[in-house]
Amino acid sequence: MECMDIEVKMGDIALAKNADNLAASGIGSCVAIALYDPKLKIGALAHAMLHHSPTPGHGSPDTKYIDTAIDEMLKKMLTYGAKKQDLEAKFVGGANMFSILDSDIGKQNVLSAKEKLKKEGIKIVGECVGGSIGRSVEFCIATGIVTVKTKF
Amino acid sequence: MGKLQEINKHAALNASRALSKLINRPVDVQVSKAGVKKVEELAPIIGPEEIVAGIYLPVTGDIKGAALLIFSEETAFTLCDLLVKREPGTTRRLSGLDRSALKEVGNIVSGNYLAVFSNMLQVKTIEHVPSLSFDMFGAIVSQIITNFAQKAEKALVIEIEFIFKPVTLKGYFLVLFGLEQIDVVLGPLENHRKLIKGSG
Repeated sequence: MECMDIEVKMGDIALAKNADNLAASGIGSCVAIALYDPKLKIGALAHAMLHHSPTPGHGSPDTKYIDTAIDEMLKKMLTYGAKKQDLEAKFVGGANMFSILDSDIGKQNVLSAKEKLKKEGIKIVGECVGGSIGRSVEFCIATGIVTVKTKF
Repeated sequence: MGKLQEINKHAALNASRALSKLINRPVDVQVSKAGVKKVEELAPIIGPEEIVAGIYLPVTGDIKGAALLIFSEETAFTLCDLLVKREPGTTRRLSGLDRSALKEVGNIVSGNYLAVFSNMLQVKTIEHVPSLSFDMFGAIVSQIITNFAQKAEKALVIEIEFIFKPVTLKGYFLVLFGLEQIDVVLGPLENHRKLIKGSG
């Protein structure tokens, strides 16, 4: 079976199963959130930019926000038969790339991801966050392993 | 001549003079392309994992936004060789002096551009102290985009060339404006939405 590498762009989410891999490149203050069902070997990855949607529930779901992105990933995974209690979450990113930037978007993003996952009752099994470095993420669906790459 | 072309021409000329004075040898700054892009279209300009030097300058005043000057890793190293007067090909990592030199180039390009821009469009702009990040393009640009994601929709993207004969170095200069100022600032420039060939 041919496997695919799916690049998840900023503001997007994607779901994959079996031998496919999900990836998100060049993550700064954004947060990549990986959800994995080890029993079914399905996973979803979000590359979210902002902590929470200003008007949740209105219009089409905007996956650039962490809360909406997690909701949408859960919706898709549950459709494939996943159960919330089986899911494992890992998240990566939340850096601040410019010291003078009067911004704690990265920190807020990490906090928001943690809160949302806790609220949904999803087990957090790993994180690689903060600092001032860019990161890339590869999520192997066959094993559930999330590899974080930095350039330095 | 369109307004954007006129701004580019004056800003490039002023930046050439300032940069030549800084390094005591002739440098010709030229605008090769300029146009207005949607913020979400900025990320594909360079590969997201490609290492770049990003010099960020916050802009306040009548318009609030950000100026970001981007050089690829190799261009940044070559630029440092020239700025700090090293043998060509010697810079392989950025020292404190290199970082300062690159920030100064950011100051010069951005300062001259915004000064001409303010004059021609009759808006007040104040630029602030530059900050440098040497990392993945996606990580750098997404942080700036995210900071403006709820406030900006469009950015002015200017491709610039620094000609230190016989070397030509290419960089990108991005100017992002707050949403409330888009009409004021970009209105007169919208006629030039498509990429315009250099100001010559």
